[in-house]
Amino acid sequence: MIKKNIYFVPLFLAIFSFVVIAIALQLDTSPEMIVGDSMQARSFPIFLMILNLILVAVLTLQFYKNHPNPIPLERFPTWGSMILFLVFYLLTVFTDMFIGIFIVMFLMCVLWGEKRIWVALLTASITPALIFMLFDLVLKIRFPRGILTNIYYG
Amino acid sequence: MFEQAIGAMASVVVDPYLLGLIFVTTILGVIIGVLPGLGATTGAALLLPFTLTMDPVHAIAVLATIYVSATFAGSITAILINAPGTSAAAATTFDGYPLAQKGEAGRALGIAVISSTVGGIFSVLILCFAAPLLARVAYEFRSPEYFALTVFGLSMLASISAGGAVKNLIGGIFGVWLSTIGAERVTGIERFMFGNYELYEGLHFVPIFIGLFAISELLVQSKTVDKIIKTVAMKAVKLPTKEDYKKIWKTILRSCGIGTFIGVLPAEGATVASMIGYSEARRWSKNKKEFGKGSIEGIAGAEAANNAATGGAMVPTMVLGIPGSGTTAIILVGLMVHGLRPGVYLFTEQVEKVYQIFGSMFIANVMFMLMGLYAAKIFARVSLVPTAILWPIVFALSVIGAYAFQGQLLDVWLALIFGVIGFFARRFGFSVAPIAVGLILGEMVETNLQHSLKMFDGAWWMILTQPLALMFLIFAFLGLCGPMIFSWITKQKK
Repeated sequence: MIKKNIYFVPLFLAIFSFVVIAIALQLDTSPEMIVGDSMQARSFPIFLMILNLILVAVLTLQFYKNHPNPIPLERFPTWGSMILFLVFYLLTVFTDMFIGIFIVMFLMCVLWGEKRIWVALLTASITPALIFMLFDLVLKIRFPRGILTNIYYG
Repeated sequence: MFEQAIGAMASVVVDPYLLGLIFVTTILGVIIGVLPGLGATTGAALLLPFTLTMDPVHAIAVLATIYVSATFAGSITAILINAPGTSAAAATTFDGYPLAQKGEAGRALGIAVISSTVGGIFSVLILCFAAPLLARVAYEFRSPEYFALTVFGLSMLASISAGGAVKNLIGGIFGVWLSTIGAERVTGIERFMFGNYELYEGLHFVPIFIGLFAISELLVQSKTVDKIIKTVAMKAVKLPTKEDYKKIWKTILRSCGIGTFIGVLPAEGATVASMIGYSEARRWSKNKKEFGKGSIEGIAGAEAANNAATGGAMVPTMVLGIPGSGTTAIILVGLMVHGLRPGVYLFTEQVEKVYQIFGSMFIANVMFMLMGLYAAKIFARVSLVPTAILWPIVFALSVIGAYAFQGQLLDVWLALIFGVIGFFARRFGFSVAPIAVGLILGEMVETNLQHSLKMFDGAWWMILTQPLALMFLIFAFLGLCGPMIFSWITKQKK
């Protein structure tokens, strides 16, 4: 359980705001004749982050006064699903988007508790096939080149 | 104008393709609303890419139909399994489920269907009359007024959904900051792109919304894999009797007014409307003791209000370009993607399309009533689809939908990244809707501030000299600080 670490949230937000301000300060400035009496490109994001820092201070005060409930750590299916997103990225980049969808859908079904392997396989194969047909034949959208799409598109 | 509006609305009835589309989308919307976790917002986000090749009116009709039908359908599971399909139906569980447990599930659903339909139709009628009037007022708006209006819209984020005012405002600011990514509109200076030229025109809404609403919901639902759903037995949906009508008609009318008004307020939505509709029904009821134990007034109050909010929320969305909720934020993106620029232009140059959209919403309300009355029992079974099957399908729809928007893999990665960001935001008590609304309003607020500064030679305080702008800024101030000021005054009095 995360207890005192709840202060991690305002700390993270404060660091984020400072990083954005630091990056914004590095942005180019535009000549006076273009900007005129208006704002430089960096001004608005900096203004936003200053507002954010004020709100983060209020949030910290609220946490200090109200002692928010501890947040339980994530369970395996949640972390597992996030890891599967990474697997999907790798499979899409190195093989084919539809191979990625098939494998990730199958693994996700199993990870989320589907014990009937044939159901997981069927879901993982029929769904992307139907969606592909809909987008390709009806909506005329071409998918990125990969092992499978190269065979289909020729 | 009136004849043109009636003609445009009537043209929907004689367009078999559009009617068929609304019919199919209503079924889809009811299924989406019935499935726990898959609300109107997620459904609209997932369907948005499918509408890209459609005619603009058809595309917006699809999104609007999903909005109204999914908002209604949340009540089916709220009554039968005590799990609201959408957050807007949360108040329906208070009395819907207890009534169902008494063996009157059919009656509870009948009351919910009729109340929702009346609420929905009432709000569409208000939309038809109020939107053009508001558009005439908006015709006078210049940059200072639009800037102030957008600030007002952003200030209303404080109460958009659960999470607390401060967290919602932080979410809104994050959304506005996201809108600054890309080349700055006036100077062309690249901001926060880190050399990625695909981001030159800024972040596109569609993949971000798919990530924030659909992918993040998928990760949230991954925690419910062990949940066992029990459904209450039901024979058939029963229409309310004469006595029921006598008991609830005042509640329905009151909730229609409340729901539409709350929907019209920028950044407020069906969830807030249903809660207020329910509490007002209780306040005015002669049978307060029945509330929480299966009161039909409680069901009618919540359901009429949440569906009335759908039409109301379309008013600021279409007239001012300020979304009334997460779902209307997606509808707004739909309008933009299809070249329908929200605002005065829409009501002066494309009136016919506007009324066709309104007509579609009207028909969608009638269709979900028929489906609710005759097929609620079948739809309720859909809620029993295992999460282990449902959410991997949502994953496939999300990634393909994100890709289909522009044919760029970067959009798929953005959807996944924002899904994870949205998940952690929700995990720590932040709502994702303010991020979405902030992203939409961000460009509007910055551009109008820039124009206002140019108009007044850099004297920003001159914005306060514009009566309408001042009014909106006062509303924004009251929206943000009002609760604190009033509680301080109350304490002082005590």
